[in-house]
Amino acid sequence: MFHHTPFRYAALVLLASGALFQAFTAQYFGLEILTEILILAMLVLALDMVAGFGGMVSLCHGALMGVGAYGYAVLSTTAGLTPPVAMAAAVGITAGISWVIGAICSRSHGIYFIMATLAFGQMAYSYVFEAPIFGGDDGLGGIERLDLSFIGVDLNDTRTFALFCLVTLAAMYGLAVMILRSGLGRSFSGVMHNEQRMRALGLTVWRIKADVFGLSGMIAGVAGVLAAQHIMYISPGLMAWTVSGEALVVVILGGLGTLVGPLVGAAVFVVLKHELSSLTTYWHLIVGVILIGVVMSRANGIFGFIENSFAARSKTTEINPKAMEVTKDA
Amino acid sequence: MTTDLGFWTLQALNALQLSMLLFLLSVGLTVIFGLMHFVNLAHGALYALGAYFAASFAAIWGYWAAFLLAPVAVAGVGVLLYSGFIQRMRKSGPMAQVLVTFGLIFVLLDLTRIVWGDLPLAIEVPAMLGGRLAFLGVEYPTYRLFIIVLGLVVLAGLAFVLGRTQIGAMIRAGVDNDEMAACLGINVERLFFCVFCVGCALAGLAGAVAAPLLSVSPDMGLQILIPTLIVIVIGGLGSLKGAVAGSLIYGFVQTFGAVLAPQLSSVLIYALLAAVLVIKPVGLFPAKG
Repeated sequence: MFHHTPFRYAALVLLASGALFQAFTAQYFGLEILTEILILAMLVLALDMVAGFGGMVSLCHGALMGVGAYGYAVLSTTAGLTPPVAMAAAVGITAGISWVIGAICSRSHGIYFIMATLAFGQMAYSYVFEAPIFGGDDGLGGIERLDLSFIGVDLNDTRTFALFCLVTLAAMYGLAVMILRSGLGRSFSGVMHNEQRMRALGLTVWRIKADVFGLSGMIAGVAGVLAAQHIMYISPGLMAWTVSGEALVVVILGGLGTLVGPLVGAAVFVVLKHELSSLTTYWHLIVGVILIGVVMSRANGIFGFIENSFAARSKTTEINPKAMEVTKDA
Repeated sequence: MTTDLGFWTLQALNALQLSMLLFLLSVGLTVIFGLMHFVNLAHGALYALGAYFAASFAAIWGYWAAFLLAPVAVAGVGVLLYSGFIQRMRKSGPMAQVLVTFGLIFVLLDLTRIVWGDLPLAIEVPAMLGGRLAFLGVEYPTYRLFIIVLGLVVLAGLAFVLGRTQIGAMIRAGVDNDEMAACLGINVERLFFCVFCVGCALAGLAGAVAAPLLSVSPDMGLQILIPTLIVIVIGGLGSLKGAVAGSLIYGFVQTFGAVLAPQLSSVLIYALLAAVLVIKPVGLFPAKG
């Protein structure tokens, strides 16, 4: 179950004000980085929802984001739908595909679940890589952004688009919290802790898993649509399994099962990537070392670590359940 | 579509060659998993290291020295990894292991780039295996036949050791129930360590024999990782039989898929994996019931 502690509220306020400050003061390059952070944050939010609260460690969320991006690109250019309709349809398609993947994989656990989702992600990747309708390995260009000029908003402006992404991310965060707090979300956490017991209580376990996985895929789809509109060009590289792997890395760096932590992780990861890659071409080495350090220290990511040390000091808030331990017996 | 028998023989040999290469890689990974319940994503990086070591050694002492030394060098790296990370991660969940070894992929990949540079290296096929052999009515490169034979020899050796010797019996006991095996006086930890080193050496061997076929580049480890994982998941984790079956299935589906249905070939193997996981969620021949 997801709780908002005062510490988490404080972190959210800090993150939001930091993003707003950046959005109003930064120049072009800073805004591009901010948008990149916001879109990645949306993806890892979706991933944390299933991995942190249901133990469904998915390696296909990058591909799901790609489905959203490609869905929007094809529907808005080749199929000639208007952007709002194409957006809604792309998000709907992603949610549907995600639900089916969740339903099929619901029986697998642990490493088999990781592999099964990896297989589905790679399947989508290889298909897009070869299919002419999706532009193959050349990718697709000429993607339009949403037209909001009737309310006087021009999304082709970099600053406005960054703000638009921020608003969408806030909405998606609210949605994720709502889902996790609903009956469905509570049952979902229950399934992670003890699947047998939930089944004995009369719940249809596979339906619960598939439903939440579908909703999570929907959020990933929104991230994909925004990614397509951001770069205005997409290539199959967006769907490669390493994107999903990186998303998982961000979730772990931030703090699995905290929902706020992955947002922190996204900001840290993108900034680190840009700073390090300007210093050295071997920035993956440093990211790898940090990742190994974080996982081996057994702290629940950056945010989880700070949160737990605060909680240990004040003893007033409940210590975050170690979601990483739970996946052990899965 | 051609009805020429020679064409199909050629494809079958290609499939077999790919299968044997994957077998060398996957058998180490699968036995490590079966015995230690450890998911080592860095196995592909060890394969790439094997290819790089082979390229360096071959430049100094020739191919055959490289062929023998590269697996030893990779096993040495395996010892370092084992004492540095893997021993400590033994008791963590699969997710932590996946992440630590994912981090190791990043680190090893960039280390190979730092040591050997970004440009692909090439190794010459040894003169002895350079030509072509007439075989079942087709001309086939001797070196590829050598890979097939090598794979079969390793398979026979492993089958003998695992099935007929006392060490093999101890390993099987460890896979089956490690606590009980420890109670019977088997030093399971030391057994794990030896198996891990042999697995790493086999990955290095695979890299060394693959090096003359492919160019040796930093990302070859990442490229081979997914096929290897597919092989062990289709076959079922932890069993020799599973690794053999998985490698053959992958090799033949991939090769014949590319011939018969080029549009679908890349999707085919993933669809097969998904189907296997849906029907038998733990693979075809898992080590435990």
